Amino acid sequence: MSDEHAPATGRGFGRLLVTVYGILAFAALGRSSYQVLTKLADAPAAYLLSLLAAVVYVVATVALALGARPGWRRAAWAAVVVEAVGVLTVGTLSLTHPAYFAEPTVWSGFGQGYGYVPLVLPFVGLWWLWHTRPGRNAPTSAPARPTEA
Amino acid sequence: MVLPLLFLALLLCALLAGWAAWFVVRDRAVILRQLFGAAAVEAVLVVQAVVAGVLQVQGHAVDGPLFWGYLLTAALLLPLAAVWAFAERTKWSSVVLCVAALTVAFLEWRLWIIWEAGL
Repeated sequence: MSDEHAPATGRGFGRLLVTVYGILAFAALGRSSYQVLTKLADAPAAYLLSLLAAVVYVVATVALALGARPGWRRAAWAAVVVEAVGVLTVGTLSLTHPAYFAEPTVWSGFGQGYGYVPLVLPFVGLWWLWHTRPGRNAPTSAPARPTEA
Repeated sequence: MVLPLLFLALLLCALLAGWAAWFVVRDRAVILRQLFGAAAVEAVLVVQAVVAGVLQVQGHAVDGPLFWGYLLTAALLLPLAAVWAFAERTKWSSVVLCVAALTVAFLEWRLWIIWEAGL
C-alpha cells in the first residue's frame, strides 16, 4: 500500500490516528453489541444509534488504514464527516432533549463517556485527510525516516 | 481478579508506556525487545483470566459478558497494536505502543471496578 502514489493516510501520524480510531471502534462495537444483545428493549433507539456509530468507527478505521487508495480515501472522508455531524447533533440533542437519550450512546454529551475522544477525533481525521490529500507536494505523511532506528 | 495481579499488570503497563514514551522523545521506532515487554503484559493478562475464571466458578458473582468482553479486549489490544506499530519504522510506532499500553492499563482499572461491582 505504501508504494502507491497518493500519500498514505495510515503512515506517520496516521499510525496513531488509526490506532485511536481502532480502540474507539472496538470499544463502541463491544459496548453497543452488548447493549443490543442484552437489553435492546430498554432503549432501542439509543442502542441502535450506538451500534450505527460503532460501525461508522470501524469503517473509518479500515478506510484510514488503507487510505492510499482513492476508494478508501473517499470512504474515510464519508465516515469522518458522518462522525463529526453525529457527535455534534447527538451531543446537542442530548443536552436540549435529555429525555431522548436517557440511555447513553457514544455521542451523548459530545462523547463525554469516552473522554470526549469522539468529539475531537473526527476533526483530527478531517485535518489529516486534507493534509494528506493527493496532489500535495512532498507528502508529510511519510516524514524522513530516522536512520538510527 | 486479585489485587497483586492487578498491580503487577498496571506496573508492567506503566513501564512499557514509559519505555515507549522515552523512544518517542528519542525519535526512535519500536524495537523487538519492547514487544517482549508487551508479551510480559500479555502473560499477566492470561494468568488474570485463569484466576478470574477459577474465582467465578467458585462463586464470585460478576457481570460475565461485560467482564470477559473487557478482558478479551485488553488481551487483543497489545498484539494488534504491536503488529500495527512494528510495520511503521518511525517514532510514530513508539507513540502507538505507548497509547496501547496506557489503554490496557485503563482497561485493567475498569476490569477491577467491574469485578468488585459484582452482579
